[in-house]
Amino acid sequence: MTQNLLFLPIIIPLAAAIICILTPRNLRPAQAMIALAATLINLLISAALWGRQISFSAPWLGIGFEFSLRLYHFSAFIMLSVASFGFLVTLYSTVFMRDRNSLGQFYAYFLLTLSFAAGAVLADNLLVLLLFWEGLLLALFGMIIIGNKSAFKTATKAFIIVGITDLCMMTGIALTGKLAGTLTMSQINLPLGGLGSVAFILLMIGAISKGGAMPFHTWIPDAAVDAPLPFMALVPAALEKLLGIYFLTRISLDLFQLNPGSWVSVLLMTIGAVTIILAVMMALVQKDYKRLLSYHAISQVGYMILGIGTAVPAGIIGGLFHMINNALYKSCLFLTGGSVEKQAGTTNLEELGGLRSRMPVTFACFVITALAISGVPPFNGFFSRELVYDGALSRGCIFYVAAVAGSFFTAASFLKLGHAAFLGKINDKNKGVKEASFAMLFPMMVIALICVLFGLYNYLPINKLIQPVLGEARLEGHDYSGFPHNITLVLVTVIVLIGALANHIFGVKRTGAGLKAVDHIHYAPGLSQIYSMAEKRYFDPYEIGMKFAQFAARIIWRIDRAIDWVYDSLLTGAAHAFSKVIRGMHTGYYPVYIAWSILGTAAVLLFALK
Amino acid sequence: MMIDLILLICLVLAAFWAVVAARMLKAVVGLALTSVIVSILMFRMNSPLAAVFELSVCAGLIPVIFITTISFTKRLSWEAYLERKKEIFSRFWYLPVILVITVVLLSRYKIAADFILPQAPAVTDVRHVLWNLRQSDLFGQIIILLIGAFGVVTLFKVKQPKDKPK
Amino acid sequence: MLSLFILLPFFCLIAVNLPVKGARRLAFWLTASLFVLQILAVLLHPSVFWGMKEDLFANFFAINFSVNNLSLVIFLTIGIVGLVSLIIGKYTLANRPDRFHFTNLLLTALIGMNALALLTDLFSMYVFIEVTALSSFILIAVQREKTALEGAFKYLIISTIASALMLSSVALILLVSGSTSFDVVSAALKASSGSVFVKLAVALFLCGPFIKSGLVPFHGWLPDAYSAAPSAVSVLLAGIITKVSGVYVLMKLVMSVFGFTPVIRDILMFAGALSIVFGALAAIGQKDFKRMLAYSSISQVGYIIIGLGCGTKLAIAGAALHFFNHAVFKSLLFTNAAVMEQKLGTVDMDKMGGLTSRMPFTGMTSLIAFLSTAGIPPLSGFWSKLLIVVALWTSGMHGYAAIALLASVLTLAYFLSMQRRVFFGKLRPGLEAVQEAGTGLVITQVALALVILGVGLGFPFMLKTLAPLKNILW
Repeated sequence: MTQNLLFLPIIIPLAAAIICILTPRNLRPAQAMIALAATLINLLISAALWGRQISFSAPWLGIGFEFSLRLYHFSAFIMLSVASFGFLVTLYSTVFMRDRNSLGQFYAYFLLTLSFAAGAVLADNLLVLLLFWEGLLLALFGMIIIGNKSAFKTATKAFIIVGITDLCMMTGIALTGKLAGTLTMSQINLPLGGLGSVAFILLMIGAISKGGAMPFHTWIPDAAVDAPLPFMALVPAALEKLLGIYFLTRISLDLFQLNPGSWVSVLLMTIGAVTIILAVMMALVQKDYKRLLSYHAISQVGYMILGIGTAVPAGIIGGLFHMINNALYKSCLFLTGGSVEKQAGTTNLEELGGLRSRMPVTFACFVITALAISGVPPFNGFFSRELVYDGALSRGCIFYVAAVAGSFFTAASFLKLGHAAFLGKINDKNKGVKEASFAMLFPMMVIALICVLFGLYNYLPINKLIQPVLGEARLEGHDYSGFPHNITLVLVTVIVLIGALANHIFGVKRTGAGLKAVDHIHYAPGLSQIYSMAEKRYFDPYEIGMKFAQFAARIIWRIDRAIDWVYDSLLTGAAHAFSKVIRGMHTGYYPVYIAWSILGTAAVLLFALK
Repeated sequence: MMIDLILLICLVLAAFWAVVAARMLKAVVGLALTSVIVSILMFRMNSPLAAVFELSVCAGLIPVIFITTISFTKRLSWEAYLERKKEIFSRFWYLPVILVITVVLLSRYKIAADFILPQAPAVTDVRHVLWNLRQSDLFGQIIILLIGAFGVVTLFKVKQPKDKPK
Repeated sequence: MLSLFILLPFFCLIAVNLPVKGARRLAFWLTASLFVLQILAVLLHPSVFWGMKEDLFANFFAINFSVNNLSLVIFLTIGIVGLVSLIIGKYTLANRPDRFHFTNLLLTALIGMNALALLTDLFSMYVFIEVTALSSFILIAVQREKTALEGAFKYLIISTIASALMLSSVALILLVSGSTSFDVVSAALKASSGSVFVKLAVALFLCGPFIKSGLVPFHGWLPDAYSAAPSAVSVLLAGIITKVSGVYVLMKLVMSVFGFTPVIRDILMFAGALSIVFGALAAIGQKDFKRMLAYSSISQVGYIIIGLGCGTKLAIAGAALHFFNHAVFKSLLFTNAAVMEQKLGTVDMDKMGGLTSRMPFTGMTSLIAFLSTAGIPPLSGFWSKLLIVVALWTSGMHGYAAIALLASVLTLAYFLSMQRRVFFGKLRPGLEAVQEAGTGLVITQVALALVILGVGLGFPFMLKTLAPLKNILW
């Protein structure tokens, strides 16, 4: 019986999704209520499952595969997080999405996402995991497509990027299954090296692209503008990070033995560091609330990958802690963005400003989460970052410098964002803006509160949630909770944050507006050209890939025409030419026919007498 | 042996003439000549019966029928004759070439085995074979005659509409 | 009473030509009932008839008749195609005397072909080949049109070469064996198989049926004769006359006299493959419906010959079946051609288009016949081609099997392009007044299409029940 409980987090949202899509259009409030009830039940079940260890396994597909699910502390914790975010964002959506079209589809995809995410987390068989993973891709596609008009293009982009990386992951799964002889995750334990490394990298591509790391990130900023905001707050900001990093952790710790010495670890750290720097640099110059946040969503995943890539306990714990923290404050930040969008009607920073007095609660939540994401003590972001720094420093100075630089720009960009949106002079249009409704504020307040809580009492998440993931053996008796041990690093962080503030004040003095606080960086010699090229998407691998694909398509089209020509013109042409020759031979003149007959007879005779 | 060779060459030439002759009368003469040479060859090969048949039917009767038929036709005018000669030349100019090539090829290509009968031929009189053993063909020959009659009726007896009795 | 196959047509011939009033009127019905009798005799296979050994006629003429299972297929094919030809002739030959001559010559051709299926003597076979050929020369020209006369003349001339070759061969064989009956000749040939005389005789004789059946490169006369002849005669030529006097003679001689020596098999298979490919390729470019059918006929004969050349039991069964199938679908196609000739006054495919809307039965039945020709399952042509290809493959002739298969694609290509041009698509302007053929022709078409479908669908069943097929295969 308890085994079957494992299916509930998958089946309940799934059933609710089906009901939502079948609910008639004129019962829209009912759809919201169904979704809310489903997510609430889901949350309760996830909470009830907390702390248990349940396994389920049944033969599947009839060809030797096992449909196996496994609940243990790590998956329970990710599942609880997913369920919590699911509930809070649904609550938020009941108000935010009230007046939108295609509400049924929205809730259906939303619940499907929850269902598949729960399935992916619970899966103990790589094939089952892949099944849910692909399901997520479909839900993602559907979710983006119900946005505005340009959404289809973005959805296609997301679909292709994620599809390609999922293909890599599929190959990786096949390879892993071949190497390990089983697809059951809890039984796989492979060394790196040779094909093992290839399999790891393929799986890693699947994981980090789900997390949204560079270079698989480019659909996220586009989706931020096109897709419904609650989706952004749930999926790219929280859920995908949770899933991506969950899977990355699983393959790094359980499926493969990632040790600090291997080049794969360096590769991971490099990806992390590059993601941090490049994404945050892009975030710095954005002029749209949601787009700016979406770049941060990419940048933050860099910290997690960097942390896990270090393969030392401090880094891994930092990475995982950062995963939770990021999910918290990033979704909260997106929700504040949603509030602003809902109330002011726009997320364009040039049209915003001075909302502090109009939306005090939103502003307060924004401040808390912005401080947290910038790594200001004593908020949760500070502690996770310090752990990542610690791990990075132990592996190489360059990674540490990249992480700290990322921190500087993060702080700078949030100073800019906060200044531009909430401080300064209020726009005339926004004079009538009011605070958002309670259903929207409640999730934000809850999350902001948790941010503070996880900062002040960081032993709660670290001791209860994260350190068990690594296991006693890896920890070697250390306890990474509490205030950072390395005071030097803390000092550096504080200096960097002060530097960011100074930079902001300098920028505002120079230009007189919060929005233009980082113009001196944006238009710095050398950087401005790179920025303008980036804005034109010269660096987008999707765009490059599409250009290449178009080029290739043109060539292939030519080849195809050539083949077609061979079949369509050459062969039939040859046949026609041949038949023309034959027709020419049939002159209707009988001596010719006699000659053929005699020649034929001669040939037969020669052959027979040979 | 020499005589046979000369006769064979003459045979080929006569047959060739029969093909390329522009006037039908000449062609018939060529045909008759060919038959005569063939029958001489048959005499030389000790088959007097065949030779007599050949001489009487192929060299005698058939040319007579042909000539009778030709006598019903109009003689070609000189211009038409020249025209026809030209046409025949354009049609058959390659025949001598083929002839020469065939001769050359045959002299080069040695057929390995010699033409010796595997066993002595059963000594049966030709007459016996023709009249005693071949009754079965009699029926076939009757049918062929019938078909000939039908053919003449079908192809040549065309009723003219004006001949129809009213 | 096997001689009834010859005697009944002969008496019939005499009866309709008696100078009695009304004898001519009966000609059609008498002949038709003759064909029906022949079909029934094969299909019902009454043992009373087949088991009767006393044969006055054969005794009188000292002829040795014998039938085997192959002959049964031939009788059946002759019956069906002859009946079809007779019906088409009744509806398409405009002139009443022509119709009467046509019936007479059909009867003589029937005598010749039935005799070929019965005889076991080389020289007699030659005689009856000539009977059949002579009938067909006159049949082609039965309407005395200029092109028809020309076609008949070409056929006559080239057939003469075949006769000369066969006659020379018979002479050589007579020298070797001293007799012309199959048993003696077969034994003598086997005894002295290394002799050049024997090889020469066999090779010469093979060329005769090659010319008669129109294999490449002996086919020059065939397209002209088929397309110039009236459709009723084309049916006869394509369906049985060339097949019996060429293909069947070849089959009979190779199977029971010459034997499957490697040389003969090589010659047969090569000639067959060449005909398959050449005929199919030549058919692609044709504008004349009947001419295209003629080339297709060359190609299909190639299949029969290649099956014969393969020589295994399965291959010969396939060849015999294809003989029958080809006769049926080619008859159907020529019936379609007859309908078009009658209703449109032309068989030029460029002047047709979208005819299915005007003549649905003709369009649909021709489609069935085409698909059967191309060997599309489950139509009858599929099974025979399948048997031939499988037999070729299993006896190691992979190249020939591949040619046979690929040529099927070519067959499909030219037939589909034709079908599209003639029957499908939009009705060509000016053809609005075209009407479906008369009831008699429609019934003929539908019946033939049903035969194709029935043989195709019921093939496995038929294998076990129908005497001729059953005996050939097992």
